[in-house]
Order: sequence, then structure tokens, then C-alpha cells
Amino acid sequence: MPLKLGAVSEQIEHMAQAMVALSPAQEQLLEQAQALLRSTPADALRLKLEQQRQRQVRFPWLVATPHGSLCGIIPAPPAPVDFCVIGIDASSVPPDRHRSVRFYVLNVGYAALTYGRCADAVLDAESQLFFHDEDLYLFPEKRDVPIEGTLLNARMEVESLQTLQKVIQHRAHQPSGERPPTVALRDGPLILWTLQNEPQEVQDKLLHGFLQAMSSLRQSGVPLAGYISYTDSRDVANSLRVWICQELPNECEHCKNSKRDLCLALAKIRDRDLFNFLAIGERSELFASSSQILERYGEHRVDFFYLNIGGEIVRVEVPRWVSADAEWLSLLHAVIYDQSRRSPGFPPYPPALLEAHEQAVITTTERRLIEEMVERALGLHGQWVTRSAKNDSKRRRGI
Amino acid sequence: MRIGEIVETTSTGFVAESFTLNRPPPLGSLVAVSLPAQDMEIYAVVAYGQTVGLDPGRRAVRRSTEIVFDEAIYHEHPELKHILRTEFGAVLVGYLAEGQVWQHLPPQPPPLHFSVQTVQTGELQRFTDHLLYFRLLLSYNGPVSPLQVLAANVREVYRQRGSDRAWLDAAAREIATLLKNDHEALLTVLYAIDPGEASAIAERRGQL
Repeated sequence: MPLKLGAVSEQIEHMAQAMVALSPAQEQLLEQAQALLRSTPADALRLKLEQQRQRQVRFPWLVATPHGSLCGIIPAPPAPVDFCVIGIDASSVPPDRHRSVRFYVLNVGYAALTYGRCADAVLDAESQLFFHDEDLYLFPEKRDVPIEGTLLNARMEVESLQTLQKVIQHRAHQPSGERPPTVALRDGPLILWTLQNEPQEVQDKLLHGFLQAMSSLRQSGVPLAGYISYTDSRDVANSLRVWICQELPNECEHCKNSKRDLCLALAKIRDRDLFNFLAIGERSELFASSSQILERYGEHRVDFFYLNIGGEIVRVEVPRWVSADAEWLSLLHAVIYDQSRRSPGFPPYPPALLEAHEQAVITTTERRLIEEMVERALGLHGQWVTRSAKNDSKRRRGI
Repeated sequence: MRIGEIVETTSTGFVAESFTLNRPPPLGSLVAVSLPAQDMEIYAVVAYGQTVGLDPGRRAVRRSTEIVFDEAIYHEHPELKHILRTEFGAVLVGYLAEGQVWQHLPPQPPPLHFSVQTVQTGELQRFTDHLLYFRLLLSYNGPVSPLQVLAANVREVYRQRGSDRAWLDAAAREIATLLKNDHEALLTVLYAIDPGEASAIAERRGQL
């Protein structure tokens, strides 16, 4: 066993001691940050952020622009008697460059849970294997930009929304009386920020399908939300840093501001802690994300709010056409909170997303099976799959 | 009536997934698998039932609240009907071939994915007129003790034969013969097949 557990265990103890020592100080900082959140006028902050944007000040961090007050609280509205939640999740078998045949598999799982007088559930998945050049490369004619890593994830997001659209279209064939108000939940953000550092033509290719699917969802009359559990985001805390900043926020090293310590403390605070004053079921007001990729989202620009689902403050991302519609927003809020109450575990997690995940997941056995099926199919046609020497030696692990 | 589908099969028994969640056929009841191609009907006795998660890696967790419990849980969580499965195990006790009933193991296990069906009263009477199959029940090895499976079968057959007292007496005598060397086991079965008449038990004990 080459991992030196003895050394790691000693470091674990140091880490635990450091974290315990930090806790009281963190508590104090959090109180200061929450006091700042309460005292900061939203209008003035909005104005300051807007002015800096106009002056093309590049923020070193993501900031959130409040649509309403910073510390506003909105209690959960009651959920309708009859409603449906469609959860969607996806997983993949990525292409393996150590294998002579290149392909990948996407598995989009969904769970359509109908509550109320006609309670019902549909749990299923759409599985597809991609092997054509147009699936494997973003620019197939030049066999350029292989779809893997970040790009494969983005491709998976597009496929998820397209599957969601198919599920919704299928439901649209039901008699209207049997179609209760419906919301769609996606596991993870709606902001494809991982594409941010990609060249524009790459972004164009991938975002096109994603935004088109969002437009179809909008036409179907189904509000969509991205559900982010245990969010690490600090957008609102960062906005507070901008608020107390008297210089330019990208020149921290020269900062002589009297509130420098508070600013540095804010950098350590996550929004989920900042909003821990929300009671169960309550949500914050809406905030606009400043993620750069959103410049290309148009009508689907993403807003978000924080929601206490009991045991956790989650981040919920919605496209602008949802956040601008009070009725849809209220339905989403009510349904997500209702989902948390129906969750079998604690902290709660929406059953629609849990079951979608169960449908989407590809087990190790299934991954091996796909590999074997591909090898067998090619073998029947007299073509053998070869592997790189590295991959082969790792499999054999000869002594 | 089709009540389940075989999902595991061996020469001595099978496991079937029940078509109805939480309602496997009664313990001890006689079920059948039809093999039209061989002109054969295989008989089995239900030896256990269980409801578990479809995915063996997922354990059931508590879902009830102050106001939502029992049947209402299934209404509040419609996905449960899709992620749970009820299965039952059955021990092979004989078959019908060429118009004749045989009370020994069939030559081959019933095929995987074939339907499990209930047995009509006439068919049940014909099969249970002979009690040699008790020996196969007693050699069963599974989650429920073979004595309890045997007793459950006697209770079920007695009920389905319209409280046939003569058959029950014959069954008790057969059991007494089979378990003559194990007094405790015999009493366990006799107490468990008592149709509610304490005097009958006492009477039977007197005869032993």
C-alpha cells in the first residue's frame, strides 16, 4: 500500500485542530457579514455595480446584482393540489483515447412524479452511443476539437434538456384535464460557466443546442430550474465586497481601505452561510448572476435565489423568463419546498432528482458491459479493439 | 390468473416477481407454471415473500409522518411503486404430465421469465388428494423454516378445499408419520395447523 496513511493521519489531525480553532472567529465574521447584508441598500449597490460595469471594471470574482432587497425573505407558498415535477440528470461513458475505437455513451435519466388526485410516476432513461465524426468532434470536417472533458459535459447538458423537452412533449399529448401544473428540475447549474474559457466558436456550437432547448421549454409552458445542493458560490458575499470597496476591486494588493479585514473575511464566506437566517421554506429575493457566459444567453439569462429546504440552503437557478413570471416563480418555490418535505433523507433532496439520478447512473458493471459489447460486435466483423500499451499494462498489472 | 414472473429458477424451486406490490400469494399456497410446449403443468408451494428495493444497493427508509402513514405513503410518494418489488419464492412439489399428477421434482426447472399462476380449486383438489409432496416441503431450505411452510400449506389447502376435515385429518396423520422421530417438530406443525378447535389438538396429541 504505497499511500502513507500514517503521514496523512497526522495531517488530518492538524487540519481538524485548525478548523476547530477557526470556528469562533468564523462565527463572528459571519455575524458581521450578515449585518452588512442587512444594512446595504440594494438600490445603491445595484447602481455601484452598474457604474463599474459601464466603466468596464473587470471584477475578479463573480458578483450578484440584487433584483429586490438583499435580505428580503419570501415564505413558501402552498403547493397546488395537483402538480407534476420532472427531474432530469445525466451521466456518461466518456471516450477513451487509449482504445482504438472512439465512442461515448450518454444516459439521460428522468423522473416525472405526479402528485395529487392522479398520483403517478414515470421513471426512465434515454441511452445513446455516439460514434460518428459529427458526434465526436465539434468541427467534424477538420476532425478538430474532440468532444471530451468539459465539452462532453456541456454536450450532456444539451442532451438532458432535449430529453426533458421530449418528455414534456409526450405529456402534452395527454388530455388537458390530466395535465397538472408542471415544473422541471435539473441537477446542477443552468449557467454553463465551464464553457467560459472556450473559444467563441466552441461556445456557439454548444450553447446553440442548449438555448434552443430552453426556448422549447419556454414554449411548452414548463418553468425550468437548476437545483444546486451544498452550493459553494459566493456571488452575494462578493457583491458586499464590491460595496465596501473604495478603490477598484481588482487592485486588492494596493488596498488601504479601513474595511480591508472585513473584505478579506467576506472572501471566506459562502452564500449558503450568509443566508442561514432563512427559516425552513423561505427563499431569498432574486439575484442576477454576472457570469460572463450569460452574455450569450439572451432571453435565457440566469437569475438565482437561495432557499432553505430544511437542513440546507440550496441555490436555485432560473432563466429570466421564469424569474420574470411571478406565478411560475411561486410555483417553483412551492414545488421545490414540497419536494424537500417528501424527501426520504435528511438533509432533504428532491425525490424527482434522486430518482432521475438513479435512472441516469451508469454502474461500473454496465461500463464494462458496454466495452465488452463493443469489442464483441467489432470482433464479429473481424476487427479487434486494440488498447494503448499503458492501458494494457494497467489492466494486466503483472508482477 | 397470472400473478408473477419467474426471475430465478433451479431444479428445486424458483423466485418470482409478484405483479402486485406488497401482496405476494399467501404463504403455503399452491401455484403453477404452465409449459404448453411440453403439455406440462409444474406445481410449487409458496415458501416466502418479501418486498425490497428494485436496486439491491438501496435500502428502504422511514417515510411516515404524523399525518402521512401506511397506504397514504404510497400516494404521497408515487415513485415507490416503481422502485420497489415484491417477490416470492416457491418450492417445486410436482407436476402434471400426460394427464397424470406426479409428486416429485420435475425433470427440468421451470423456464426463466415464465408466468406463475394461481391454481383453480379442482386442480388443487386433484393435486392435494395425495400427500407425498409433504416430503419435498420438509426438505426445503430457505428463509422460512420448512415446518412453517408445511403448516402454512396445510392451512391454505384446508381452507381452499372448503374446510375439508377429512383431508386435514389425513394431512395430520401423514405429518405424524413423517415427523415421528422429532416430537418437538411434530408439535410445532400440529399447533400451527390447528383450525381453532383446541379439543382437536388435544385429541390428536392423545392419539400419538
